[in-house]
Amino acid sequence: MEGSRLNRLRTWKLLLPLAVGVVAISAVSATSLAARSARSATPIKIAIMTDCKGAFGGATEVDIGGAQAAFAQFAGGKPVNPKKPSAGMTGITISGRPVKIVGYGCGNDTVPLAISETKRLMEQLGADIMVGPLSGDEAVTVAHYAQSHPKKTFVIGTAGSQDPTLQIAPKNLFRYHGDGAQWNAGIGEIAYKKLHWRKAAIIMDDYSFGWTSAAGMIADFCGVGGKIVKRVFPPLNTTDYSSYVQQLPPPSKVDGYFWVVGGTGTGASLKAYEQAFGKVSPKKFIGNLFFAFLGNFQEVAPRLIGAYVGGFGTGPGLNTKQAKGYEAIVAKWYPGLNGGNYADGFVYNYYNAAWALIRGLKAVHGDISGGQAKLQAHMPRTNRSGYQVSNNGLVKLDSNRQAIQDQYPLQITKGPGGKPGLAITGWVPNVDQSFGGFFTKNSPPPGRSQPPCVKHKFPWTGKIHAVKNGVITKQIIK
Amino acid sequence: MRSLGTFQSRKQATERTAAGTMLVLLAIWPLVFSSNSYWVGYILTQTFAVGIAAASLIFLSAYGGMVSLAQVALYGICGLVLGNLVTSGQAKGLHLGWSPWLAVAAAVGITTAIALLFGAIASRSAGIYFLMITLTFGVIANTFFGSVTTFGGFSGIAGIDTYTPGLVGNHVTQPARLYYIAFTVAIIVYLLIRYIVRTPFGIALQGVRDEPVRMRSLGYNVPLHRTLAFGLAGFMASLAGVLYAWSIGVVAPGTLDLASTVDLLVIAVIGGLARIEGAWLGAFVFFAIQTYVRNVSVPVLGGSFNTIIGFIFLAIVIISPNGLMGLWDMITRYAFGDRGGGSSEPFRELRRIVSDAWFRLKGGAPTRTQSRSETL
Repeated sequence: MEGSRLNRLRTWKLLLPLAVGVVAISAVSATSLAARSARSATPIKIAIMTDCKGAFGGATEVDIGGAQAAFAQFAGGKPVNPKKPSAGMTGITISGRPVKIVGYGCGNDTVPLAISETKRLMEQLGADIMVGPLSGDEAVTVAHYAQSHPKKTFVIGTAGSQDPTLQIAPKNLFRYHGDGAQWNAGIGEIAYKKLHWRKAAIIMDDYSFGWTSAAGMIADFCGVGGKIVKRVFPPLNTTDYSSYVQQLPPPSKVDGYFWVVGGTGTGASLKAYEQAFGKVSPKKFIGNLFFAFLGNFQEVAPRLIGAYVGGFGTGPGLNTKQAKGYEAIVAKWYPGLNGGNYADGFVYNYYNAAWALIRGLKAVHGDISGGQAKLQAHMPRTNRSGYQVSNNGLVKLDSNRQAIQDQYPLQITKGPGGKPGLAITGWVPNVDQSFGGFFTKNSPPPGRSQPPCVKHKFPWTGKIHAVKNGVITKQIIK
Repeated sequence: MRSLGTFQSRKQATERTAAGTMLVLLAIWPLVFSSNSYWVGYILTQTFAVGIAAASLIFLSAYGGMVSLAQVALYGICGLVLGNLVTSGQAKGLHLGWSPWLAVAAAVGITTAIALLFGAIASRSAGIYFLMITLTFGVIANTFFGSVTTFGGFSGIAGIDTYTPGLVGNHVTQPARLYYIAFTVAIIVYLLIRYIVRTPFGIALQGVRDEPVRMRSLGYNVPLHRTLAFGLAGFMASLAGVLYAWSIGVVAPGTLDLASTVDLLVIAVIGGLARIEGAWLGAFVFFAIQTYVRNVSVPVLGGSFNTIIGFIFLAIVIISPNGLMGLWDMITRYAFGDRGGGSSEPFRELRRIVSDAWFRLKGGAPTRTQSRSETL
């Protein structure tokens, strides 16, 4: 009898703390939920999604800095630490309503982390709007997420896959910069006309941005009569490219190579080429944006002086008032961001995304009620982006809320002191995502074998202007 | 002197009461709190789903003596097969547009068949070799789906959550539905494992775990038992795959990569490789930490989820190799005074735990390698 009472006592000794724990967790959760719903009435919550791991992990501060420079310039934000954008920003208000950056997403260019980070930002931290993500597959994932969350608004940070705005195209998703194909418009024609390439091989990262970026080069090069004789596709985040480079035809069999290997893979893949075929020849290599941006420049440019680069929709050294104005704004709030290279799309695209969002929020006086329908309807259809020249300097959005923007093919040059520099070599005005109807909603999205290599006249074919010393000339590249 | 039987019955009664309390709490959670909360839609639903995959790993480990690193691959395969079969229109992959239930049945069936194949190949190996073979299966699955763009390629299949059966509905607007489905499936899987291990097959499997040579000499087909156990675990993992795909909506090769494989092992180890319940406990701790400790900065090392979960993993391995469920066993031993005839002083128990941990760190044997409850 005494024993059983003692047993019961011991049981309660264990269960009591458990019960107290459960009640405490429940109470904390309930309080947190109640507090959250009470708060949601006041500030507008914005999340910035970028990559802090993986091939593009080095762009975190650059992306956040780009977006927050716009919040500082146009919405009264104050950087907590101008040398470390991710330290945060205070004092953002739009039409008298406070804006809070509730969190920074940390992706790694893969789909699973993109979705879990998006959920964390939008559902746990309760963000109303997202600026981001970075990278192609992540944008595809976020586009699908946006499709099933029509009451939230998404402005892509910097991502070059085609699908988010052409094939998926949810109404609450906006992109104020070009996709990977647009960023390579004109480069195929330059290869054909200036380097006299007729047969080329292409190596491309095996994911949506790699495919889209390659699609721009293939379409443009084949459009003027070139032939792609081999397509090789190493998986993203490959570190040893030897076996993939071995699949490429040797330099004696082709006129050149289009190189669409990004992030940390750019240098590694070129090294594998050198081991297989010897020294790289700048006249035989054209890279996409990764030859020039995201920290690759210092590594790959010294051996590629003279090589052409597709570009990033930006004009490094473009001598216009609008371009200088943009660069001055970023330099004002985050001096030295990205080593002072503000013409990097990782800064520029996030900046424009945030700026367009601020303009949209101002247009509705910070009113995001009604499932943000009003905000989505008033998101700007034009943006005075720094490097835009056409349309009096206005980037326009198409009916899928995708930017139609100018494109600048680049060239790696020898700068002062023998250091490599970047020069704009051409101006391709008003490049739209469909390439003048070549890509459509119903055409297969870019892939390993898409698009096919066919001759086609694009709106800019034969109309690319030469750019000299940062000034657009009337001379057409021939 | 208290009898061991009394200790066990008291422990069981306590565990049943605790489990009952937890089940009631979880059953009323979406009703009491907002059903749209992140907890219902993500943390707890994921806990149930990924916990099932971890339970399949623990089932193989605890009752078959096989630590499998292929369980993530299996639930990823199921999700990818489901995505290819059920989606239509602009989705990547085959996008065959099958009816949701038919696609689920086919995905579970295909995954179970693959698991049986994996099991048949791995069944003749043991220990580190079994671990390596199952890891190889995971790498093959990851590479295959990453390379074959016909099935989605590196980008995987998105939008699966919009092709759910009517019962599941829209996970965004009605998260409680999937929550309850995942909760129910988790309970069924738990009961299924409890049932299986008591059947002649389950008892023979435990015999295979402890004495494979003797079981073979008694006429049991050891590889067949292991293969069937692997198939069963694959079936369970496939259910996790379906729930994961419905919940997250996207399945890609990254879902079944090496990092995810390690994550599931971490979940199982944190929960405890000796008891099935540990699967869900480990999953809960993992997702809760992933969500709430992300921005905590660890001095000197900086802050990240991986750093913190790594420390927890190390602490668990050193202090309680049987995970949180092992800790629970220690606590119950203290609470019910079962310390192998020792004193009930808490400081003595704490001293023993620290002493065990110290011996493990030095590479020696702990003062008592297994508790009685573990051996029974």
